[in-house]
Amino acid sequence: MSISAVRRLILIGLLIAIGALLSLSSPVFLTLDNLMTLLQEASQIGIVAIGFTLILITAGIDMSIGAVIAITAMICVNFLSYTPLPAYLFIPVALGIGALIGGFNGFFITHFKLPEFIVTLATRGILAGLALIIAVKDELGFVKNVFIQDEVFLWFGGTVGPVYIIVIVFFVLAALTQLFLKRTRAGANIYATGANPTAARLSGINTDRTIIGVYMFSGFCASLAAVFLSARMMTAMPEFGIGSEMDVIAAVVIGGTTFTGGVGDIWGTVIGTLFLTLIKNGILKVGLSPYIQPIVIGGLIIVVVVADVWYKGFAEKMAAKAALRRKLAAAKAKEAV
Amino acid sequence: MKNTKRIALVAALLVMTGTMALTAQTTYKIGYLPSTVGQALTQAWRIGIENALKENNNTALQSLDAQMKAETQVTMMDDFINQGYNAIILQPIDAAALTASVKKAEGKGIHVITLNTDTLLPHAACVTMDDYGAGYLVGETMGKSINGKGNVAIIQSPPGAQAGVEREKGFRAAMAKLYPSIKIVGAQNGLWNKDKAIEIMNSFLQVNKDLNGVFAVNDNMAEGAMLAAESAGRLADVKIWGFNGQKSTLALIEQGKITGTAYTNAYNQGAAAAKYALDLLKGTKKKGAKTEIVTIAPFAAMKDTVAQISAADRW
Repeated sequence: MSISAVRRLILIGLLIAIGALLSLSSPVFLTLDNLMTLLQEASQIGIVAIGFTLILITAGIDMSIGAVIAITAMICVNFLSYTPLPAYLFIPVALGIGALIGGFNGFFITHFKLPEFIVTLATRGILAGLALIIAVKDELGFVKNVFIQDEVFLWFGGTVGPVYIIVIVFFVLAALTQLFLKRTRAGANIYATGANPTAARLSGINTDRTIIGVYMFSGFCASLAAVFLSARMMTAMPEFGIGSEMDVIAAVVIGGTTFTGGVGDIWGTVIGTLFLTLIKNGILKVGLSPYIQPIVIGGLIIVVVVADVWYKGFAEKMAAKAALRRKLAAAKAKEAV
Repeated sequence: MKNTKRIALVAALLVMTGTMALTAQTTYKIGYLPSTVGQALTQAWRIGIENALKENNNTALQSLDAQMKAETQVTMMDDFINQGYNAIILQPIDAAALTASVKKAEGKGIHVITLNTDTLLPHAACVTMDDYGAGYLVGETMGKSINGKGNVAIIQSPPGAQAGVEREKGFRAAMAKLYPSIKIVGAQNGLWNKDKAIEIMNSFLQVNKDLNGVFAVNDNMAEGAMLAAESAGRLADVKIWGFNGQKSTLALIEQGKITGTAYTNAYNQGAAAAKYALDLLKGTKKKGAKTEIVTIAPFAAMKDTVAQISAADRW
């Protein structure tokens, strides 16, 4: 069995174990309401994590996702407050701007050969400031968090039957992205770019275009999450999403996508997102101090990364030993003849 | 044989969880969800709530920390709702952002009592400090103490934080109405915290050679402003006012380092919210069509009045 398959089985096992523990400790855990809220929670991180997974596969990083959420929320609320445009017209515009911001990140990274971290950290700062500047203000100039009552917009925070719309969108987007990664040439290019950019370039892959593409997709995903978040909260705040990077990174890394690039997929991210949501909810349910939550999440990232590195080394050693044994056996067999 | 043992064990477990669930249902579960648990104010509220609930031994209190993030607070509201809490005492981080959650809770028959920040749709009650009125009180008192002229500055709350904004609006209204010759020379966001307030106060002091007064919209920031003015050697020239009336600030007022603060008895405020929830649960009080606003009156604590606040009422 491959490393990633074993890893995934362990993660699914843990997921079930935590779920079982939580349902034992709290009689309401397995209620439909609670499960649906948990899935909604997970989808909110998960949609952003899908875009982030692609970036991590190219060995990049995007620190601007939180700020993209903030700016998109502000753009939507500006449209709602100052224009008569219906939501189904301005939401695509907002999502387009999100993708454009990602494209901007990608452009600076590829054309000026700048480190991903620096570029996206800078755009994070710029966007966070811009979000405050374009925020809707009251007559005295104070930021006013508009109460959204537009029905079309609020539809995004609603449900179909018991299932939140965001959950459906999350799983559909996950499935489509997984298909794209595994079944298309462009998807294969993303892996190649992450595994070895030089080799990829030499074999004729346009790595710059690939990188700009994944940053655009990440910006799009973050914007999409912003629309759902604003609809759910019935308002938009200029600090929306800022600081949520930690959760997104944790979900993706727990899901098996590595920082070194070339490895990972969307199913892993989906499982990682569910895992993270359960852990966070578990901390709440058990009544542990909320201060422990970031410690647990940070600790989890380290444990997972260390376990990954260790297991990879262990598996390679085992493979080398097996190869050696085969060689010796072959040599012995020759001698016997 | 083995199987019977196993069945017995499972049955015992089921009975145990069943009784646990039953005993849990006979008590009122009350949730407390402040913006963050790490502040003197929210801790004092909690103590006030606990004191009010002590007289009723059939209540269970659970508090959660929203860590100053509205998204987190909404998640935690969902958690309280799904766990079937009977009442929630909430300090909304943002009025608009928590409105949907409060509506959802009330829709499921959970009483929601808000603290300091009212949400936009009706719920049981809002037990609040009089932010605007107290801000006005600070403006009025400060203006008088600098004889109605000079330069003052404001250390603000984060944009969108309703309570802080109301305090500032009250202060500005008093200045505009009562003391037209006082100039407001600066207003900067101190993020509610001391460190940031030191930084802002330093820049105020550098830019304005004659600064007569500073209003920080909470006590932490007033303490920061005090530290900055002290190290610049200008503490005697600047009247510094805070808001809330936490213990450490009251002590600094006694020492004459901070001029004053708008004190509210946070213990009483927490207790009032908890009592309101209990009254609703027991049916001695009925819910109205509109949110009932319960206002806890402010008190201008200064060097000559601070002694009126007894040790037991300091938080």
